Amino acid sequence: MWVWFAKLGSPRWFYELSGKWLPWLYAAMTLLMLVGLTWALLFVPEDYQQGHTIRIMYVHVPVASISLACFPLMAVAGAITLVWKMKLADMVAKCVAPIGLWFTGLALATGAIWGQPIWGTWWAWDARLTSMLIQFFLFVGVIALRSAIESTDAAAKACAVLAIVGAINVPIIKYSVEWWNTLHQPASSISFDSAAPNPPEVWVPLLIMIGAVYLLFIISLILRTRNEILIRERRSQWVTDLITRSQS
Amino acid sequence: MPTLQFSSLSEFVQMGTYSFHVWVVYLLFVLFVGYNLILPGVQRKQFIRQQKRRVARDAELATQAASRQGLNNRSAE
Amino acid sequence: MKSHRKKTLGIILFIAAGLSVAIGLSLYALSSNIDLFYTPTQVAAGEVTPGQRIRVGGMVKEGSVKHSEEQLQVNFITTDYAHDVDVQYSGILPDLFREGQGIVAEGSMTPEGQFVASRVLAKHDENYMSVEVKAAMDAAERQRVMGQIQEQGQSQGNYQ
Repeated sequence: MWVWFAKLGSPRWFYELSGKWLPWLYAAMTLLMLVGLTWALLFVPEDYQQGHTIRIMYVHVPVASISLACFPLMAVAGAITLVWKMKLADMVAKCVAPIGLWFTGLALATGAIWGQPIWGTWWAWDARLTSMLIQFFLFVGVIALRSAIESTDAAAKACAVLAIVGAINVPIIKYSVEWWNTLHQPASSISFDSAAPNPPEVWVPLLIMIGAVYLLFIISLILRTRNEILIRERRSQWVTDLITRSQS
Repeated sequence: MPTLQFSSLSEFVQMGTYSFHVWVVYLLFVLFVGYNLILPGVQRKQFIRQQKRRVARDAELATQAASRQGLNNRSAE
Repeated sequence: MKSHRKKTLGIILFIAAGLSVAIGLSLYALSSNIDLFYTPTQVAAGEVTPGQRIRVGGMVKEGSVKHSEEQLQVNFITTDYAHDVDVQYSGILPDLFREGQGIVAEGSMTPEGQFVASRVLAKHDENYMSVEVKAAMDAAERQRVMGQIQEQGQSQGNYQ
């Protein structure tokens, strides 16, 4: 167990293993993305209230829900950095932040485009929307903090603390629609009955899109982390060898 | 079973009255996917190119230093 | 520990503490006023002072929507099925605005108890389904209600 844990913390081991995973992850993502997008755009029935704007849900919901996974992931990686000083954990924490920022930004943007015709406004100071905006600024804060501190170790510690503190916002975002009267509707409960609200025709393609976007997130995180490994380990023999061997 | 919701291409493009909203969201999503997959590759290539240049420059500096060292040694003789 | 390290550690702790205090304070400030809207029951209970800018959320009462012919003005009643609020609004309504729809109106109460809205937003629930499924569900609901009425009629008939 401890051997495995120590091995996992080795950037070189992660670099080599993730290189083997990537083609499979790419294949799975492409498949799910093609099926999900085709289904969402062509086969999902028009909603009785919202018409074709329901198709926006198949982008908005996966992106928004995966943006909520970023802060907890960054907080766990930060805790590992603080306790075990594992180098890889901090590299992952560093690479999650910009991805989380983009996911949160896209969730806010698609939500605004959806809200404009349906609610009659692209923005409201509603608990769900406001807490999501706070998450956006927390990501900006983490990225700014990292770039403000020169020493890699000190930056790692500072960002770890901020990630752990900022993760409090995630349950607030999640439950905001239940705790307060909001313009944003609460989470839907799915039904297996085709003749009931939220039938499989609506949620199966959504599940496929969530899977596809999750894979996109994982691939993007792996790619960025591999770059970070090369940069931080550039003086080690294995990276020098890798660079002299590479084509470009 | 899911059935096709559109009978013509123009109907598909129009999306009821929501062509602008639906298509802007999907355009943003495609750009987002592309950005997330392509950017790390570009950064990787940049880094490798920069490292290769650095290695080459270091090697050159080393040979220069070595030849200067050789000249100095000779002049001292 | 070297002095420059102490300094960076100080900066870090300052930023972390500052950010958590800022978040904590903003959440505390929001907690009293984070509800997006008042319900008609809260309005009826006198929780709202006239002139204060607020939002009221409820359903558009069936048969209450009256469009004025000259301007874009519209009058309707919003209800939570316990109390009603009379709303006056002139402007563009969202696509989803219709009788029986959930809405949030932004504006203020007049001393006479009418709500003058400057903006009307539509609120929808978390149920997504096709037009056909909705129609089938409505038909089933109608049938159920009709059945109840007939049953009542029969039981009343038995008494006679």
